[in-house]
Amino acid sequence: MSSWIQYIKSIPTHMDYDGQARAERLSRVIITLFGVVGLIWGYVIHQFSQTMYILGAGFVLAALITVPPWPMYRRKPLDWQKPQSEVMVKQKKKK
Amino acid sequence: MHTIFTRGNAIVAYTLSVSACLTFCCFLSTVFIDYRANATLNTVKVVVKNVADYSASREKNDLGYLTFDLKTDLTPLFNWNVKQLFLYLTAEYQTENNDFNQVVLWDKIVLRGDKTVFNFKNMNTKYYFWDDGNGLRGNKNVTLTLSWNIIPNAGLLPSVNAFGSHTFAFPSEYTSLRV
Repeated sequence: MSSWIQYIKSIPTHMDYDGQARAERLSRVIITLFGVVGLIWGYVIHQFSQTMYILGAGFVLAALITVPPWPMYRRKPLDWQKPQSEVMVKQKKKK
Repeated sequence: MHTIFTRGNAIVAYTLSVSACLTFCCFLSTVFIDYRANATLNTVKVVVKNVADYSASREKNDLGYLTFDLKTDLTPLFNWNVKQLFLYLTAEYQTENNDFNQVVLWDKIVLRGDKTVFNFKNMNTKYYFWDDGNGLRGNKNVTLTLSWNIIPNAGLLPSVNAFGSHTFAFPSEYTSLRV
């Protein structure tokens, strides 16, 4: 049982900073694109409800693509520096 | 954007903003459209009675009774920002009591997708044509006009008068017939 919990906890659920930026940009692009296409289509067939349905489809697609922390948003992890001991920090401050 | 919830919140908010923007575009695309159209009206049978309107008082008032023909094509009025039309037929006349009287005699709701070409013959009015006094008998100048309210998805709620009205006269004697 505890091994299961260990396994579930080991699944990475974060996005790195670059991934977060890409997720936001991607969601905006998808929703805007569906909105524009929906507006044009709704105007052509004279049904504003179709515009809203297409926008809704864009929302669902954007939610599926950008809300879950997919692995593709974890490709550029930050290179954190190794933890430094207290002594080292104090020495640096003196300089 | 670091958790599922902030991302979900962000895209819901953005979708709502976009939908508001699209709705505004829809409004802009129809705001300058001229919603007037032709309507041909005619009265068939016109009588006037002098009876007590018990809903208001015991005094006897003039009650007009008429049947009318209406022919109109409302197809051009519908576009992607029109959900329904509310048609109403108004009688306008002048009496000694009031300079300007308006009585709605009939109305009809036309939903999007309904039949939009009308050719009614000898229609009864839906509402009583009461005058608040005795101004109908022998009134030579009663004008019927068709108007409509446009109920849009978004935007203004214009009330439009149709081109074409019909002016008729009430007979100078009260009828004794039951109508």
